[in-house]
Amino acid sequence: MEAKAERVGLWSSGAVVAVVLLLGVVAPFVAYDPAGAVDYDQQLVGPSAAHWFGTDGQGRDVALRLLKGIEAFFLPGLLAGLAATTLGALAGAVAGYAEGWVRSAVLGLMQLIDTLPRLVFIILVCTILNPSISLIAAVAAVLFVPNIATVVRRKVEALGSEDYILAHIAHGFRPTRILLYHIIWLQCRPLLIRQATYVFGYVLFVETALSYLGDYGVQEPTPSWGNMVAQTRELAGAAPWPWLFPALAIVITISGFLAFGNLLARHEEEALR
Amino acid sequence: MTRASLLLIAALRRTAGGLLLLVGASFVIYITIRSAPGDAIDAISPMGTPPEVKAKLMAEFGLDRDPITGYVAWLARSAVGDFGESLVFAPGATVMDVGLPAFERTLALAALALAACLVLAVLGALLLGRPHPRQQVITGPLYFLTAAPSFVVAVLFAQATNWFVHTYVEQGGYETPPWYPIPIYSESWMPYLFAGFVLVAGDGLFMDFLNAVRAELQGLRSAQFIAAVRAKGARTVGHIARNMVVPLVSGYAARLPLVLGGVVIVEYIFTLDGAGYLLLEAARERDFPIVVGLSVLFTATIIVVNLLADIVRALVDPREVARGG
Repeated sequence: MEAKAERVGLWSSGAVVAVVLLLGVVAPFVAYDPAGAVDYDQQLVGPSAAHWFGTDGQGRDVALRLLKGIEAFFLPGLLAGLAATTLGALAGAVAGYAEGWVRSAVLGLMQLIDTLPRLVFIILVCTILNPSISLIAAVAAVLFVPNIATVVRRKVEALGSEDYILAHIAHGFRPTRILLYHIIWLQCRPLLIRQATYVFGYVLFVETALSYLGDYGVQEPTPSWGNMVAQTRELAGAAPWPWLFPALAIVITISGFLAFGNLLARHEEEALR
Repeated sequence: MTRASLLLIAALRRTAGGLLLLVGASFVIYITIRSAPGDAIDAISPMGTPPEVKAKLMAEFGLDRDPITGYVAWLARSAVGDFGESLVFAPGATVMDVGLPAFERTLALAALALAACLVLAVLGALLLGRPHPRQQVITGPLYFLTAAPSFVVAVLFAQATNWFVHTYVEQGGYETPPWYPIPIYSESWMPYLFAGFVLVAGDGLFMDFLNAVRAELQGLRSAQFIAAVRAKGARTVGHIARNMVVPLVSGYAARLPLVLGGVVIVEYIFTLDGAGYLLLEAARERDFPIVVGLSVLFTATIIVVNLLADIVRALVDPREVARGG
């Protein structure tokens, strides 16, 4: 299966991830005044050298708004991915290693979080607390902990009876060191990378979806890929570029991140063998 | 013990576990309500709510008591389906009267869409057969296309529909075409069909399911007991089919929460009269009893479906019961 197509997939999805990461880092340094960008002499101008992706119904440059729109999900998504994998790895390690009531308590808590319907719960939280993308990302991170804990726990349980781990125990290594370094850091990295890309993709999905719907996401005039797609409501059929490019950006970024996570994990797992 | 009594014990144990989960999950929802900044009652009531309604809400959600006794009182009322009355969306009507019919439609839509996705995934897996590098010409682009979030699929779809309607009108059509997917006034099931299609095509659901089914099928086909069946000259189809039931049921139950999330947004875009549309509209108008009631219904559904999946697995696969799970 380690075929050419897979390498092509890994490199092309890796390129998408690299471009998004690069633009995400660059975006905050690009000056943009959402109100000042409006230019009614330049409404719905098609793609050209001056406006690569054209302009929208208020004459704002679509390419620049795409770039600034990354800010809406970039940092929250990365932090959520990091938080979810850290918490998930810890919970999985405890559940896989501990016995008795500690194990039951962690497993029970994970099962509990896992039964909450993610999007519905996020909407519930948004109606109660002050909605913001950071809050949404934080809730999403917690909701993804059980998924990550489950895969890590299975790995810990499977490796716990391996000879070399028993040898480490016989050598008198501390359990925390065996768990955190030898099992999680050395063996679970591919799994964790895959899960982190899922969480990032999910935060991007929720941010754009809520910004599209309009109540809890990013509000106009601040750009988000979601509220850019929402311009279809005003522009139905007039000109496709104000909403088509952000829609494509969402699809390419999500599938790029998911594919990269999957392929990289498979690649690394094969290398570990 | 006989198999039947073992099954019964397993079913009872799992039901008890499911009830415990429901209590726990509803506690999480309740604590979330209590965690509102400032005065919780102001956070959960719409602007300009008269004081007597506020007092009633306080009592209903047990906000005038400490979290534990407040929770117990709220749970006791919720357990018999009393989630209070709608405030803004349908003033005076109980949450169950408004929410339950909508929720039934939503559940039917999500369950049928996921079932269709399962059937398509099985057909796809059978058609594709053994994994082969050349298949990535098909699966690669498909992976890319189906990774689109359902709301993006819905938007692209609505735009395509607009374009079709535009050409239809240009050609002299003046009545609403029978296939028009956005509900206007007619009691048509077409919008539901289109919403179902969007759910199947979006959120990476199909490819995820297809890959899972293919991996299971591949593992089964190369299993030793299947080789033994083949060596005896018997047909393997029945054995493979029976052994696929457990992973398919698990896969279905595991993906339902994702679809129940997607359906919320898709319903809103197609303005379908379901629980997702109701949830977002109620959240927008700060009709809090409806939001909480629907959240509990969604959560309870996930627990019940997992419970049913557990029981089906136990019925099909004796090992599930023998493990004492």
